[in-house]
Amino acid sequence: MLLKPLIKRQTYIQLSIVSIVMALTIIAQAYLIVSIIEAIFLSNASFSAILPSLGLLLFVISLRAGMNYLNGVIGLHAANQAKKKLRNRVLSHFTKQPVDLSSQGRSGEKVTQLINVVEQTDSYFSQYIPKMIQATIVPLAILAIIFTQNWVSGVIILLTAPFIPLFMAIIGMKTKDKSEEQLNELSSFSGQFLDSLQGLTTLKLFGQSDREKSRIEDSSINFRQATLGVLAVAFTSAFMMELISMLSMGLIALELALGLIIFDTITFATAFFILLLAPEFYIALKDLSSAFHSGRESLTASKKLEEQLNEPVEELTWGEASLTSRPPRIQLNGVSFAYDESETVQDVSATIEAGSFVAIVGKSGAGKTTLLHLIARLLPVHSGDIFVNDIEQDQLGEQAWFNELSYISQHPYIFSGTIYDNIQMSKPSATKEDIDHAAKEAGLQPLIDLLEDGLHTVIGEGGRGLSGGEKQRVALARAFLKQPSIILFDEPTTGLDLKTEQVLNESITKLAEDATLITVAHRMHTIQKADQIIVMDEGRVVGTGQHDMLRKSNATYQSLIGDVAGGERDGWS
Amino acid sequence: MAGLNIVIKQLMKEKRDVVLSILFSFIAGIAAVGLFTASGYLISQAALGVPITALTVVIAIVKLLGFTRALSRYSERYFSHRATFTMLSHIRVQFFEKLQNLTPSKVQRFRTGDLLSRFVSDVESLQNFFLRIFYPPIVLVLIFLSTVLFTLYFSFWIALLLVVGLLLSTVVLPALFAKVRQTTEQPVQEKRSDLSAQATELLFGYQDLKIHQKLADQSEAFNTANDDLIQAQTKERKHELLNQVLDGWIGLLMAWAVLAVGGWLITSGQMEGVWLAMFMLLTLTVFENTQPMAAFPQYFLENKKAANRIFFKEDEAVSEPTQPLGDAGAIDISFRGVDFTYPDEPRSTLKNVNLSIPSGSKTAFVGASGSGKSTLLQLILKLEEASGEVYINSQAISQMTPESLWQQTNTVMQDQQFFAGTIRDNLLSDASDEQLTYALKRARLSNFSLTDEVYEKGDNLSGGEKQRLAIARLFLRDANLWLLDEPTSSLDQVTAREVMTEILRDAENDTFVIVSHNLRGLENMDQIIVMDHGEVVEQGTFDELMARKGYFYQLKEIERDTL
Repeated sequence: MLLKPLIKRQTYIQLSIVSIVMALTIIAQAYLIVSIIEAIFLSNASFSAILPSLGLLLFVISLRAGMNYLNGVIGLHAANQAKKKLRNRVLSHFTKQPVDLSSQGRSGEKVTQLINVVEQTDSYFSQYIPKMIQATIVPLAILAIIFTQNWVSGVIILLTAPFIPLFMAIIGMKTKDKSEEQLNELSSFSGQFLDSLQGLTTLKLFGQSDREKSRIEDSSINFRQATLGVLAVAFTSAFMMELISMLSMGLIALELALGLIIFDTITFATAFFILLLAPEFYIALKDLSSAFHSGRESLTASKKLEEQLNEPVEELTWGEASLTSRPPRIQLNGVSFAYDESETVQDVSATIEAGSFVAIVGKSGAGKTTLLHLIARLLPVHSGDIFVNDIEQDQLGEQAWFNELSYISQHPYIFSGTIYDNIQMSKPSATKEDIDHAAKEAGLQPLIDLLEDGLHTVIGEGGRGLSGGEKQRVALARAFLKQPSIILFDEPTTGLDLKTEQVLNESITKLAEDATLITVAHRMHTIQKADQIIVMDEGRVVGTGQHDMLRKSNATYQSLIGDVAGGERDGWS
Repeated sequence: MAGLNIVIKQLMKEKRDVVLSILFSFIAGIAAVGLFTASGYLISQAALGVPITALTVVIAIVKLLGFTRALSRYSERYFSHRATFTMLSHIRVQFFEKLQNLTPSKVQRFRTGDLLSRFVSDVESLQNFFLRIFYPPIVLVLIFLSTVLFTLYFSFWIALLLVVGLLLSTVVLPALFAKVRQTTEQPVQEKRSDLSAQATELLFGYQDLKIHQKLADQSEAFNTANDDLIQAQTKERKHELLNQVLDGWIGLLMAWAVLAVGGWLITSGQMEGVWLAMFMLLTLTVFENTQPMAAFPQYFLENKKAANRIFFKEDEAVSEPTQPLGDAGAIDISFRGVDFTYPDEPRSTLKNVNLSIPSGSKTAFVGASGSGKSTLLQLILKLEEASGEVYINSQAISQMTPESLWQQTNTVMQDQQFFAGTIRDNLLSDASDEQLTYALKRARLSNFSLTDEVYEKGDNLSGGEKQRLAIARLFLRDANLWLLDEPTSSLDQVTAREVMTEILRDAENDTFVIVSHNLRGLENMDQIIVMDHGEVVEQGTFDELMARKGYFYQLKEIERDTL
C-alpha cells in the first residue's frame, strides 16, 4: 500500500479529537433542543427561562460547524503533504532511469502520471481518511448515549445497523471491478472522441466524416447504457441503505410511542432526544459509504503509481575520478547491452584514440545510437567495460565526465526560454560575449538578426517555433560554448536546408579540432574522413578500419555504401 | 449564456427524463420533510396522550413516507443520469458537426494547439449541468414553496423565517463566495499548467538536461511549481470548505431561530406548544435540501465557460463556396501570386508563388523542412487559405466546395490520422474484404489482418506501418489527383520503391504531386519544383536542374553522399 504510510500519526490523532468533539456537539445539540422544547411545551416555562439554553445551543451548533471545517482542513493538509512526497518520489524514480529507457516509457504518459495520477490520490487523504475516522467515532458515541437513555432503542439500532455495511459490502464487491472497468472505459471513451476530432481532416478528405458522426452517436449511447448499468447498482445500494435506516427509525418511533403512551416507561424528553439522535446515527453511517466511494478512485491511482515505482531502475553509478588528459582515448572491451530488439549491443570491442574521428555506420536498427548512448554513459553497460584514458568509466565523476561531453542528437530539445538561455545551459558561467560568439559560430546570426528581440527571443514551448535546421544550430552553439573534449554526433539523415548542412559540416570539423569525435554517420564524405569506421550489424561490430580497406574487404560495408559508391541508383519511377 | 442555451436545447430533447427527474426529486424531498414533520407531531401528541388508533395512523404515514422517499430518490437518480448521458451524446455529435462545418483551416488551427483535448474535457464537465445546475434549484424552490405554504397556515413568522433562511443560503452566501471566487480561481489553473510545463521540459528534455547537468535545477523548478500549485489549491479549497460549512451552519441556525421565535410565540400565547417540535424538525429537514446549492456557483461558472468554449461563435462566414469541381478527368493546377503566412508567425511561409501543374503531369516539390512544400499541398486541398489564387481546371479554388475537390483527390498528409478500432475501420472504405486485403497487400502490409486492433491515434503502429496503412487507403479510391506529402519517409528503400511503383501504376494517367525530402527517383518527373524559405528557387526536369548546377544540384550532391 503506497498511500497509507504517507499519513502522519499526528494527523490520525487530530482527526480523532475533532471527531470526538463533533460527536459531543451532536449530542449536546439534541439535548439542548429537547430541553428547550420540553421547558416550553410541557413545563410552561417563561421565555426568559430558556434564554440560557438558547445561547448555549447557538454556541454548540457553531462549534459543530467549526469542527466540520477543522476536519476538512486537516484532511486538506494531509493531502498536500502526501502529494508533495508522491510527486517527489515519482519524479526521482523517473530521473534515476537512464536516458534511453526513460524515453522508452513515452514522456507524455509520464507527465500525466506526475500531474494527474498523483492528483487523483488526493481524495484518499482529504476525504476517505477523515470521513472514515468520523464515521467510526460519531455513530459509536451516539449509540452509547442512546443505550444510556433507552436500551431498547439501542438494541434496535444495534440489530439493524450492521445490515448497512453488509449490503454495502455485498453490492460493493459486485460493482467494484465493474466500476473500475467503467472508469477505464470512460477515459478510453474520451480518448476515442478526441481521436475522432483530431482525425477530422483525414475523415473529411476520405469522405468518411458522416460515418464517424454516427459512430460517435452509437458509442455515446452504448457508453450511456453501460454506465447506467453500473450506476443502477450503486443507486440500488443507496436505496437499500435508505430503506433500512427508514425502517429502523420507524421501529424506534413505534417503540418510543408505545413506551410513552401505553407502558409509560419513557418520558417525552427521552423519547424526543432519541428521535433526534437516531437520524444522526444513520447519516454518519451513510457518510461511511460515500467515504468508501471517494477512496476508490484514489486506490486505482495509487495502484498505477505503485506499478510505476516498482519498475526496476537501471541506475548508473559514478566514481570520483577525473579525466587525466584531454582529449581522451576511449576503449570498449566486450561491451553488451540489451533492452529490446531495437536496442541491442553485443560484445563490442573497439579502441578510439585520443583526438581521433570515429564513424559508426550500419543499417537502421543496427545498434548505432545505443552504442553512442553507452559511450556517453547515458545507458549502463550490462557486461564488458569502457575505459576512458585507462580509467574505468564508472570510476569517473559524473560532473567530470559530462563537463567534457557534447552530444548533438538529430532532434535536440529546445527548452522554453530565450535563445540566450538555451545556449547558456551548456556553460552557466559563460559571459554575454561567449554566447554571442557561440551563436555566430553555429550560424545562428541570420536568424537572430531577423528577430525583433534577437538573442532574447523566447523559443521552445510557448515561444517561437524553430525549424529542424535552427534547432540543430542551437545545439551546435551549445557545443561551441562548452568546448568539449568528446563530441558525440548523430548525423541528420534528412531534411536540412543547404545552409544548415554547410554550417553543420564546418562546425563539426571545427569542434573536432581539439576533441575526440564519434559520429553515427550517414554521409559518405563524413565517413571517408574518419580515422576509423566501425561497421555495425544487428548489434555487433562486423568490421573496423578505414574506408579504402573496408570497401575492399567488408561485405556489410560494401552493401551499405553500395549505392553511393556505385554512382546513381535507380529511382522508384 | 449563449453556450448554455444550446446545452439546454440539447437537454430538452430528453424532456421526459427531465420532467421525471424533477418530479421524483421533489417527491423525495417533500417526503423527507413530511416524514420528520409527522414524527415531530407524533411525539408531541404522544406526550399529551392521544388514542392509540390515531397514533397508528400517523406511524403508518411515517413509514409510507420513508418508503416513498427511498424509492423516489432511486428513480430521480436513474432518470437524471440517463438524461445527462443522453445529453452528452447529443452534445458530442453536435460539436462534431460544428467542427465538420468549420473551414478546414480553422480545424487545422485547433489541431495544432491543445484545443481539441480541452474541448473533450469541456464536454465532459457538462455532465454536471443537469445534475447540479439545472434541476436542483427548481426542486429546491418547489419544496420550499410547499413547505412555506404549509407553515403559513400555522404561523406567519415561522414561514417568514424559512424564506429568510432560503435567501441567505441560496442567494446571499453563494453571491458572497462567487465574488471572492472570481478573483481566486485563475491561479490554480495557471499553476497547474505551470507544473505541467515544468514536467514536460524535464521529461522531454531529459537527455539534454542530463548531459548539461541541469537535471537537479529542473527538478528544483518542478518542485517549486508543485509547491505553488499546492498552495493555490489549498487556498481555493479552504474557501470551498468554508462555503460548505457555512451552508450547513445556516440550516442549523434557522432551526435555532425557529426554536427561539416559536418559543417566544408559545410563551406569549400566540401558538400552541404542540407544534414546536414539529416545526423544529421541519426546518432542520427542509434546509438539508439547500446543501447541494453550496457548489452551485462554482459549477455554474465552470459550465458556462465550458459551454461557451464548445459552442464558440464563429466568425462571419466569408461567402460560402458554392461551385463544385466538375468531374473532368485529369486535373491541372496553377498558383498565381500566392502569399501565405501562418497566424502569429512573423515570417511568411510562402512568398509570391507562381507555378502550374498540367493535367496528367508528375510533379515533385523538394526543399528543406520549413521551406513551404507541405503548405503548397495544404493550399491545393483548401486546408489553408492564402492570399492570391489557386486555380484547379481554371476554377478558382476559393469558390469551390472542398468536398467536391476532396472526392477527386488521393492524399497522404504528413500527420495522417488513425483511429481506435481495427485495421478495417482505419482503411476508411466500404470496399469488400477481398479488396481491402488486396490493398493491404499492395501497400506491403500483408502481415496485418483486417481485424487486427489499432489503438488510439494508431499508437501501436510504427511510423512505417502508419505510412503504408495511409497508402493502402488510397488503393481503395478512384481519384484523378494525387497529393502525397513524403509518403514513404519512414520506409526502407526497397519497400519505398515497391510501394511507389504500386502507387504510380494507379496514378499513371492522373495528375500526381509529391512532396519529398528524398531526391531519389525524380528522374522521370515531368517537373521538379525546388523551394527554399517559401520561394520557388528553381524548377524544371531532373536533367535540366542537374545541368544548371544550382540549388537542386547541390542538394543532390549531399544526398548522393548520404548512405
